[in-house]
Amino acid sequence: MDAHMLVETTVPSGLPAPLWFVEFFKVLGFALHAAPMNLWYAGLVLAMLLQVRGGEHGRRFGSRLMTQMPVIVAFGINLGVVPLLFVQVAYPKLFYPATILMAWPWMAVIALLIPAYYGMYLYSFGLREGGTMSPLPRGAGWCAAVLFIVIGFLFANGFSLMVNVADWKGIWQGSNMAGAALGTGLNTADPTLWPRWLLMFGLALMTTAAWVVVDTAWFGRRESDSYQRWAPGFAWKLFSVGLAWFAVAGSWYAFATWPEGVSDAMFRGPLVVLTAATALAPGLPWLLLLLAWRRDAPISRPAAALVGVAQFAVLGINAVSRQIVQNIEITGYFPDYFRLADKLKAVQWSPLVVFLLVFVGGMAVVVWMIAQAMKASPELSE
Amino acid sequence: MHYPWWYVPHATAPMLIAAISVVHVLVSHYAVGGGFFLAVETGHAYRTGNRDYLGYLRRHARFFILLTVAFGAITGVGIWWTIGLASPLATEVLIRTFVFGWAMEWVFFVVEIAAAFIFYYYWGRLAQKTHLTIGWIYALAAWISLVLITGITAFMLNPGGWIESRSFWVGFLNPQFVPQVIARTGGALLLTSLYVYLHASLSIKDASLRNLVASRSARPALLGAVMITMGGALWHYFLPASAKAILALAAPLNILMALIFALTAVVFVLLYLGPYRNPGWLSPGFAAALLLFGLAAFSTGEFIREAVRKPYIVYNVVLGNQILPDEVRAMRASGYLESGTWTRAYVAERDPQLVVGGKIDEKRLLALPKEDQIELGHVLFQYHCNDCHAARGGYSAAGRLLQGRPPAMIRSLVEHLELSHFFMPPWAGTPEEAELITEYLASIAPPRPEGMAPDLNANVEASDLTPVTTAAEAK
Repeated sequence: MDAHMLVETTVPSGLPAPLWFVEFFKVLGFALHAAPMNLWYAGLVLAMLLQVRGGEHGRRFGSRLMTQMPVIVAFGINLGVVPLLFVQVAYPKLFYPATILMAWPWMAVIALLIPAYYGMYLYSFGLREGGTMSPLPRGAGWCAAVLFIVIGFLFANGFSLMVNVADWKGIWQGSNMAGAALGTGLNTADPTLWPRWLLMFGLALMTTAAWVVVDTAWFGRRESDSYQRWAPGFAWKLFSVGLAWFAVAGSWYAFATWPEGVSDAMFRGPLVVLTAATALAPGLPWLLLLLAWRRDAPISRPAAALVGVAQFAVLGINAVSRQIVQNIEITGYFPDYFRLADKLKAVQWSPLVVFLLVFVGGMAVVVWMIAQAMKASPELSE
Repeated sequence: MHYPWWYVPHATAPMLIAAISVVHVLVSHYAVGGGFFLAVETGHAYRTGNRDYLGYLRRHARFFILLTVAFGAITGVGIWWTIGLASPLATEVLIRTFVFGWAMEWVFFVVEIAAAFIFYYYWGRLAQKTHLTIGWIYALAAWISLVLITGITAFMLNPGGWIESRSFWVGFLNPQFVPQVIARTGGALLLTSLYVYLHASLSIKDASLRNLVASRSARPALLGAVMITMGGALWHYFLPASAKAILALAAPLNILMALIFALTAVVFVLLYLGPYRNPGWLSPGFAAALLLFGLAAFSTGEFIREAVRKPYIVYNVVLGNQILPDEVRAMRASGYLESGTWTRAYVAERDPQLVVGGKIDEKRLLALPKEDQIELGHVLFQYHCNDCHAARGGYSAAGRLLQGRPPAMIRSLVEHLELSHFFMPPWAGTPEEAELITEYLASIAPPRPEGMAPDLNANVEASDLTPVTTAAEAK
């Protein structure tokens, strides 16, 4: 059976926006989602480890991060809606079959997210109560950390299976009843799955490291001088671990698992610049952190912001690269996919414009509210 | 059939959507009404300088965030998950039609989350006016997100002029839009008061403060009940004729409709007699009973809203079994198995001898051995019927519904689905395929229960009841 046999090519309705617009918001949404997601993906397990073997300042950072985690997770999940929405607009013929083939593990994302979320809350409340933390919140924190990593594995499965059309048939034949998918498949035979999953963990460690200095400079000025001096050094070491992890997993992914078509495109021709930028981009925040550490002084707000922006750029470049690779993978199966998608578009201009206005207005309101919070009195008035 | 079908034993995949949706709406309406409650009541507490009430409202805000921002948000995402798995074609159509509606709703979610956290975490640290403004920003953003999602869900029940115009705004401002916005806004107000009562009855020890909460939340609850009734009446008025007919016809829905009226009436009376006239009645037991009645009424309403759409997922746009109404004629000509991407692939792999010139030769289907015919009939059942029917046992099991029917009657039913039951989708296959699915259905239908008098057909052969001919035979 040819892989093409399992992908419907007709569409009931055209794209509601130009393809570039859909892909732009998908990439932007993913980069915005990745920033907070990284903080719970690697940050949660890091905070748990720091509570056990982190020393005074390590434990303090773990506590700070876990106190912030309810807000981080809420925004991270919310920002994840954007790429999820636009991936369904752009690739329904690939996204739905892939997730249906692994429907139960895919549904497990929701089932696991609820205990992970409340586990994180329990731990966070345990911290606020002060004193020695009882085993229940501590156990809940560890459970949440593990559950979030499992959820990451399931996500990596879903999105790698989406572009691994060649394996659909085998998964379907191994798990169906009279042709209807049982939904118990996973994409574990795909060689790209494991390095992709691990690659994200490396990125997550780097983002958490960047957050150490951003948090210290912008929200932790009331911490001790000793803590503020400790933060850049710890951040640099953590970033270095993440960078090494990223380099190993990224090399495994790019050199050992990319099919010929993807390798050709990403290592030759103009896209080699993007590949090189993706590999080298983490060097900038790493260097900035190194310089901050060598100064042996609390990091300034502008310097911390620069580290944060540089790390966000790393996430952005990774998201762009991933989108390009995804497009090449899809075109490998269906050379006309994007030409047809763009040809069939039926752009909804007025809703698009209203959305952009709402987006700008909504962000302005959020910025105003945050500004009010930043100006707020540090002490309770009652 | 454009996508693979997900087989969920006993329950059927769409029932998972119903289960998650019902749980979600019970929280999401509180997420909307709770915003108004916190904004209005915090303003009242500030104006009256009631520090005890402010203290309670702060505790309530924490409970509110824990329930709505976490559980409400995840179950909302859960609906997305399940609709994509259980109704992929309908989801594709909806998302491509309303992507900017959803994108706008997302913006309001961002505003909501930021406002909710700042409102709670900066309590007592912001100027009162700023604090209240942020409370109102939350309330309005939450209500607008209700309006936006209602435009899309109401479209599923009655798309109005969208069928001809294909315009986003015509689809969004459909005939069901205003009635459902009124009903859902009322539901949000009512349900919020019921949550508040339970929370207050469990957490407030001081009787005067509890009485204050009881009486302050009674009016919005009664207003909500009135809005639900008004919106419900308009909802019924703007239902498509088929939906009204289903409501009148289906015995379970008759019972549910009676139940929803009874439950709403009980809640109204309890609210009037309790919190409105006698705030002191607000005990944990009373509040729990009120909330349970309210949740039951709400769940029933949501179930009815889903059920009356049959045979469509999106009225006149996508049929429940994930095909487009426009595709039915072509599928009857070329065959259901041939027309479905995954059914065609299944047959080509399992029975390659049926494929001639790259297409399934319908004439060869009935030449297959009996067990192979039944197996292909099972494939047809999975893709054509399993969206609403389990097989042998479970939700609306086809085997049980056909118990005791002879094959000829089953065959006739299959070929005239939409005529025998207007709320079922039309048969979308060839006569040969109708024969295959008949073989399968006959194999899973239990015999007529024994001992039923009078047994008028005791000596009649099943094939005597209706003549059966395939298209090939007819030619």
